[in-house]
Amino acid sequence: MSNTIQETGDLQPAAVTAVAAPEQIFRTCDITGFKVDLRSEKLIRANAVAAVVSLLLAVTAALLLVFTRYQPVHLLNAEWYYRLVTFHGLNALIFWIIFFEVAGLYFGSTVILNTRFSSPKTGWVAFWLMIAGLVISNYYILIGKADVMLTSYTPLKAHPMYYLGVILFAVGAIIAVVLFFGNLMIARRERTYGDSLPLVAYGFMTAAIIALITLATGAIIYIPTFLWSLGLVENIDPAMYKLIWWGLGHSSQQINVAAMVSIWYMVSFLTVGGTSINEKVSRTAFVLYILFICLASAHHLLTDPGVSSAWKVWNTSYAMYLAVLASMIHAFAVPSSFESAQRRWGYNKGLFEWLSKAPWGNPAFSSIILAVIGFGFIGGTTGVIFGMEQTNIIVHNTIAIPGHFKGTVVIGTTLTFMGITYYLIPLIFRRKIVGMGWAKWQPWLFFIGIALLSISMIVLGQLGVPRRHWDSTFSGGPFTYNFNPAVDFFWTLMMLGGSIAFLSVCIWIGIVVTSVFFGPRVNGPEDMQLKISPLAPPAKSHKGFEAPGTLVLTFIFLLVFLALFFLNWKWLAATWYVK
Amino acid sequence: METKQPAEQERVPFYRMIMDDFMLLLFLGTTIYAIFYLLWGVMELSNLPAIPEEVKRAVLK
Repeated sequence: MSNTIQETGDLQPAAVTAVAAPEQIFRTCDITGFKVDLRSEKLIRANAVAAVVSLLLAVTAALLLVFTRYQPVHLLNAEWYYRLVTFHGLNALIFWIIFFEVAGLYFGSTVILNTRFSSPKTGWVAFWLMIAGLVISNYYILIGKADVMLTSYTPLKAHPMYYLGVILFAVGAIIAVVLFFGNLMIARRERTYGDSLPLVAYGFMTAAIIALITLATGAIIYIPTFLWSLGLVENIDPAMYKLIWWGLGHSSQQINVAAMVSIWYMVSFLTVGGTSINEKVSRTAFVLYILFICLASAHHLLTDPGVSSAWKVWNTSYAMYLAVLASMIHAFAVPSSFESAQRRWGYNKGLFEWLSKAPWGNPAFSSIILAVIGFGFIGGTTGVIFGMEQTNIIVHNTIAIPGHFKGTVVIGTTLTFMGITYYLIPLIFRRKIVGMGWAKWQPWLFFIGIALLSISMIVLGQLGVPRRHWDSTFSGGPFTYNFNPAVDFFWTLMMLGGSIAFLSVCIWIGIVVTSVFFGPRVNGPEDMQLKISPLAPPAKSHKGFEAPGTLVLTFIFLLVFLALFFLNWKWLAATWYVK
Repeated sequence: METKQPAEQERVPFYRMIMDDFMLLLFLGTTIYAIFYLLWGVMELSNLPAIPEEVKRAVLK
C-alpha cells in the first residue's frame, strides 16, 4: 500500500509541472511526495516556533489570572491583574493565533500546492516585524505602561510604543498574507494544481481574505489611536473607536474559524483518507464566510445606544445567519468526511462503528474530533444565543462571554492547531515525536480542562458574575451584591479546569520543544509514527444516506441547541418580569 | 497563433469562475463588510445629536 499523499490523494495537484529545482530550493518529501520549498519550510518553522512561545506566555498569564479570580487564593493585586489581562489577551488572541496561521498560510500555499515561495526575503521581513511587534508590546505591558486590556478602549491611553508594537505586528501579518496571495498566483500561473484550488488551500484562502479585511480595519483604528497617544490627534471618539476596533477584534477570530475548518478537512484526509462528500457545498460554505462572517463584530455593540436595532440585527445575524449556515455545513461535512471514508474502509456496522474504529490513538485525529465537539456544543451554541440582541442582555459583559470564546478559540482553534502540530513535527521539522504516550493523552486532558473552564465561566456569567473584574465580591466598595451560593462551586470548577488545561499545554509544549530540538531525525516513511492514510476507496454501492451516523449526531446537536435556546429565553423572561 | 490545448478550450462554468476568482471574492467580502458594518455604523454614530452643553456640564461636574 502506498504511503504517500502524492500517489493517492486529492491534495495532489492535477498537473504537477516538472520544474527542475534551480539552486536546490526544493526537496521532495519522502513521506508525502510533496515538493517542499526549503525557504518556505524555514519560514513555516520560524512562525510555528514564535506561535508556541506566544502560547507559553499566554497560558502562564492565564494561570495567574485564574488563581486571582478564584477568590480563596486571589493571587494578584488589582494592578497586576489588569496588566496580565492585557498581556494574556494580546498573546493568546493575536500573537499565538496569527503566528500559527501565517505558518499555515505558507504551508497551504506552497507545500500543498507544490509551488515555490514568492519572496522569501519579504517573508523574513514580515516575520521580524511581527517579532518586533510582539517584543515591544509585551515589554510596554509588563513595565506597566499599557494597562488598557486587549480592547484598549479610549479614553484609556497606553504608551505610544504599545500601539506601535501592535501596528508593527499587523504590518508584518499583512505582508505575510500578501505573500500568500503571491504564492497562489505563482501556483496558478505555473499550473501546479488542477482546475480549482484543493479544498484545504481554498479554506486557507478564505482565512487570508478575512485576515486582510481584519488587518485593514486594525490599521484604520490603531494608526489614529497611536497618533492620539502621541498628542498629534486631539480626540478619539469612544463609540467610533469601539465600532471600528471590533472590526479587528472579532473578525480576527473569524480568521481562526476558516483556518481551523481547513485543518479539519486536512486531518480527515491525512488520518482516514477522507474528503468532503460534497466539495462544492463545502466551498460554498467558505464563500459564505468570506461574504458575511465579519459582520458579526457587531455582537460587541449590542448594548451600545449609539447604533440602531436594524444595524445590530442585520450584522449580528451575519446577514440573516448565512455565515452560521456555513458553519453548520462544515459541522456536517467534516464528520461526514470521516464517516464516509471509514465506511469505505469497511467499518460499516450500525450507526457508529466508523467512529468506534477510528484512529483514536492518533493525537491529531482525537484533537480534531474533540475540537469539533467543543466548538459546536460549547462555542457554537453559546455564540448564536449570546449574539442575539434579546438573550445577549442576560450575559453582556459577564464572564460568560470569555467562557463562550474559550469554547471557540481555545477548544476549537487552539486544540486544532495543537493537533496538526503532531503532523508538522515529522513533516516540516523532520523529527520524530518524543513522548507519543503523552501525546495520546494530551488532547483529552486539554479538552476536559477547557470544557470545565468554559462551562463554569458560562454558568457564572448567567448568574451575573462580571468579566474583567479583579474582585467580584466588591470588598470595600460602596456597593455589594450577594451572588447565588452556587457560584462558589463553579469558581472551584473553573479553577480546576484552568489548572488541568495549563498542565495539558505544558505537556504539549514539552513534547513540541523536546521533539523539535532534541528528537531523533525522520529519515523516511518508516520513521513516521502517525499514519498517513491513502485515499479511501470508492464506495462499491450507494444506498440511502452516505453518512447516517453524522446525521444522527447532527440532530443531537440541534436538539441540544434548541434546549439551550429555550433555556436562555426562559432565563430572560425570569430575569425581567413583563406585565 | 498558438493552438489551444483541449483542456483550455473547455468552458468554465460561471459558478466555478466566481468561486475560483480570489480577487473577486476579496472585493466582495470587503465591500459587504465595509458597507453594512463600517459605513452604516459610522453613519449612525455620526448622526447622533451632540449632548446638550448643560447636560455635559452636569455630568462632568
